[in-house]
Amino acid sequence: MIGKRIGAFLCHCGGNISDYVDEEKVRAAVEKESGVAVAKTFLFACSEASQEEMIRTIREEKLDGIVIASCSPKLHLDTFRAMARRSGINRYMYTQVNVREQCSWAHRHEREEATEKAIRLVRAGVAHSRLGVPLTDLRIETTPAALVVGAGVAGMRAALALSDMGIAVYLVEQAARVGGRVPAWGKMFPNDREGAEIVDTLLQAIRRRENITLFTGAEVVEKRGSVGDFSVKVRAADGTEEIALRVGAIVVATGFDPYLPAAGEFGYGAPGVVTLPEFRELLPAAEGKLRYRDREVRNIVYIYCVGSRQAAAKENPRPNLYCSRYCCTAAVHTALLAAGVDAGVNQYHLYRDMRTYGKNEILFEEAGRKGSVFLRYPDDAPPVVERPGGELLVRVRDVLLGGEEIGIPADLVVLVTGMAPRENANLVNVLKLPVGAGGFFNEIHPKLRPVETMIDGVFISGAAQGPKTLAESVASSLAAVSKGAALLLKGYVDLSPLVAKVDTEACAWCGECGNACPYDGAVERVRQGGKEVAYVHPALCKGCGGCVPVCPAEAVGLEGYTNDQVKAMIDALVREIV
Amino acid sequence: MTYRVEPGLHRDVAKFGGGDVTTCMNCGTCTATCPQSAETGGFPRRIIHLLQVGHREKLAGSLEPWLCYYCGDCSESCPRDANPGETMMAARRYLTGMYDWTGLGKRFYVSTWWEIGAIAAVGLFTVGLFALFHGPVVTGRVELNTFAPVKWVEIGDWIMGGVLAFLLLSNGWRMSRWVMGAGKGVDVPFSLYLRKLPAFFAHFATQKRWRECEGPKTRWLKHFLLVTGYLTMMMLVIVGLRWFQTDEIVPFYHPTRLLGYYAAAALLYVTGDFLLGRLRRKDGIHKHSEPTDWVFLVLLGLAALTGILVHAFRLLGLPLATYSTYVAHMAIVVPMLVVEVPFGKWGHMFYRPFAAYLAAVKQGAAEAASLGPSRAA
Ligand SMILES: Cc1cc2nc3c(=O)[nH]c(=O)nc-3n(C[C@H](O)[C@H](O)[C@H](O)COP(=O)(O)OP(=O)(O)OC[C@H]3O[C@@H](n4cnc5c(N)ncnc54)[C@H](O)[C@@H]3O)c2cc1C
Ligand code: SF4
Ligand code: SF4
Ligand code: SF4
Repeated sequence: MIGKRIGAFLCHCGGNISDYVDEEKVRAAVEKESGVAVAKTFLFACSEASQEEMIRTIREEKLDGIVIASCSPKLHLDTFRAMARRSGINRYMYTQVNVREQCSWAHRHEREEATEKAIRLVRAGVAHSRLGVPLTDLRIETTPAALVVGAGVAGMRAALALSDMGIAVYLVEQAARVGGRVPAWGKMFPNDREGAEIVDTLLQAIRRRENITLFTGAEVVEKRGSVGDFSVKVRAADGTEEIALRVGAIVVATGFDPYLPAAGEFGYGAPGVVTLPEFRELLPAAEGKLRYRDREVRNIVYIYCVGSRQAAAKENPRPNLYCSRYCCTAAVHTALLAAGVDAGVNQYHLYRDMRTYGKNEILFEEAGRKGSVFLRYPDDAPPVVERPGGELLVRVRDVLLGGEEIGIPADLVVLVTGMAPRENANLVNVLKLPVGAGGFFNEIHPKLRPVETMIDGVFISGAAQGPKTLAESVASSLAAVSKGAALLLKGYVDLSPLVAKVDTEACAWCGECGNACPYDGAVERVRQGGKEVAYVHPALCKGCGGCVPVCPAEAVGLEGYTNDQVKAMIDALVREIV
Repeated sequence: MTYRVEPGLHRDVAKFGGGDVTTCMNCGTCTATCPQSAETGGFPRRIIHLLQVGHREKLAGSLEPWLCYYCGDCSESCPRDANPGETMMAARRYLTGMYDWTGLGKRFYVSTWWEIGAIAAVGLFTVGLFALFHGPVVTGRVELNTFAPVKWVEIGDWIMGGVLAFLLLSNGWRMSRWVMGAGKGVDVPFSLYLRKLPAFFAHFATQKRWRECEGPKTRWLKHFLLVTGYLTMMMLVIVGLRWFQTDEIVPFYHPTRLLGYYAAAALLYVTGDFLLGRLRRKDGIHKHSEPTDWVFLVLLGLAALTGILVHAFRLLGLPLATYSTYVAHMAIVVPMLVVEVPFGKWGHMFYRPFAAYLAAVKQGAAEAASLGPSRAA
């Protein structure tokens, strides 16, 4: 190992690094490190020209490993690993040292200290590379079948799209019927198609597909294995039957629950106070006149943002902070439907902000033209629903009247309720789904990886991930399909080899590593050589390293970050600079 | 106290015409454009908002509709084509109906048949009076004063004037109660009402606020002609009838003749011009015509025309023609005054300056209040 030839490349990042770190000094110090065959600086290491020069150097100097001191690995780790591979060395023989975020940006006014810190960090990087060994990715053959959980429109659409690509689909729906929420809504925005009709069309199509198997009244009760190769069990709700399936990917499309106001919240529970979903169920029956409990409805007052955008309060310690985004449009659209039944009905909309974004803005304007009146209420003074003398009265501060309070008599108060995360504890437990702050399933990155989860091979879609309109739900379900199909159609997945590995000689199975591991199924107890030892499933381990420090026998190590490497790095960090 | 709004108020007001109230999104572009809105603030948007919300109390207490002269700038600037200027017009009609305690005003605005019926009834009544009580019909030469003696006509004039004044003043009283009640908390000393009275007459005579509107001043000029022509005519027939209605043919330069010519010419020109404008629907503000707008202009034009004819026949020495056109003239003028002054568009001539006057009183009171109790006391 001592014979390794390491190249150290230092990046100026324009001036981002070199303005605050004396790069020449770092270069001179690093050049003297044992094992370093060459040390160079670059204006922009990531530029095409610099990469070419580094590749040339690697080949000419016959280097075994390289260290690049530049920006955060989040930015360019993959860039430089790919470059290493192109130069002919193993991509895991590359170490990135972050001297931008950790030196130049963090210590703008301490040039000397920043420089010293950079020297130490690069030395540690060199130590890491010197002890590194070439590693290869873990390749897993994928099973060309997918499980879709939830047959709302998002799930149904996902199933069809997967089937289009020749992937076998198991579509599991908990309820007796498919379609999820939308069949209850009647005419839906943006084009007034009936929800039930949309579902029916999809169901017909699903029935015609030979490679889609639909289970209704069923639940997923078990999941084992890893990305590309999961074994799952589906059980009929009545417990009569259980089926084992093998799939390569899982799409979760379990939808949402409409927010249910507490008794007394904006008068909820009193006759005449209904939620938007409840009102939508009244509407289709109405002809000529709107009626509620046999009384004609002349005045409707909508109260927006019920159950969304809540502020923390004593009686509500876990408020829904998010905007449910569908409800402004749905309420405005509902008002248009109501005006279609009876053009003379008076409709007041008490809103906080009108978020009929995108094309739905047209509906907002249209509602005004059809007689709806919109009043903004202050965030800190929501409307109050009362029943003095048996008649509903909504008191509200009208911002445009200088905050003066007015009382609006109402025959019907419609609470424009938001979307809440659906209660789904069993499924969360079985799939180990990550749940975000708002209670919906969490993606890895809201912008760049919106449908992937921390569990490789498990994707989220539709309103299960957060409030969405139907169009958005379908778009996200198709995104999940494309991510899932990408790995299934390729036939294999390559997983990072930087995972924990157990030295079975040293291990005497105490179970500490298994307790420390946050990933379900990654650590297993196995028999080997006549004793019980820990086995780390390389496809399930994420390489977090949680198990390493807890092992009393120092039997677990992390590939790419072995105990020897880490110790050498520490030594290099603390050694005096002469 | 929380005010209980009236849902659907805008639907009530829509019966009086107006723009598309609920289409307005309260952006305020109209208010920013309105040349009149600067000092009082908020209209036409605020008026539209009151209609949307159903705040009848605040609407009744609003002076803003009378401060609008319908230049139409707001309607042109509205991004939603909600036609705020027309809504201001409808608000004026609605308020006129509200101030009027007899309830007839509302009827006339909402139903054209009521309005035409009332005009016809009063007209026929006038004809009936002449049929029953006219003096001897002298056919040898024109003796209008024998056919319709000035002193009798004058008595009729005064009775009608008294009734009209009573109606206008009592409606004005109701208006001022609502308006001043809306400025809760500010005490208005009676002396202030007196001190600001000149404002009423200044606005009445000149409509001077109008000049603040942008664009050509011709509309103001036309209105000025209309009002002065109308007032001249009123003065001649009510106060000055004994000099105006003579059988002696006074020389051309005699003041009654000159004034008469001015009034007739002004009225004919302006009504003709307005009628053409409405027929052509050329500019925005004339796009919408309610039946009341037509009735108003047609009556005015006919009144001027028949008046001129009476004069012409008299000069030509045609007794029967003179008498009968005189009766026709009266049958137009009387209903025009009786129906249109307290209940219709002519009421604007009173309410506008009265509103300017009340605004001045309110402002005076507010200024006094802001000086602090010690100085105001
Ligand atoms: C009142 C109202 C009106 C609306 N109007 C419109 C509109 O006009 N236009 C529009 O675009 N959007 C509208 N929406 C939004 C629309 O309802 C959603 O976007 C849509 O329902 C999301 O579809 P989904 O498939 O993600 O979820 P869902 O419709 O909730 O379907 C989820 C499915 O998953 C199943 N499921 C849940 N848990 C499990 C489990 N553990 N195992 C198996 N199956 C499970 C459920 O039974 C359900 O069938 C409206 C919403 C509301 C509340
Ligand atoms: S979409 Fe509208 S009603 Fe719904 S939470 Fe957002 S702002 Fe409130
Ligand atoms: S410009 Fe039009 S939309 Fe805007 S406040 Fe005025 S009337 Fe309303
Ligand atoms: S018509 Fe002219 S004066 Fe009247 S509100 Fe509109 S802009 Fe103002």
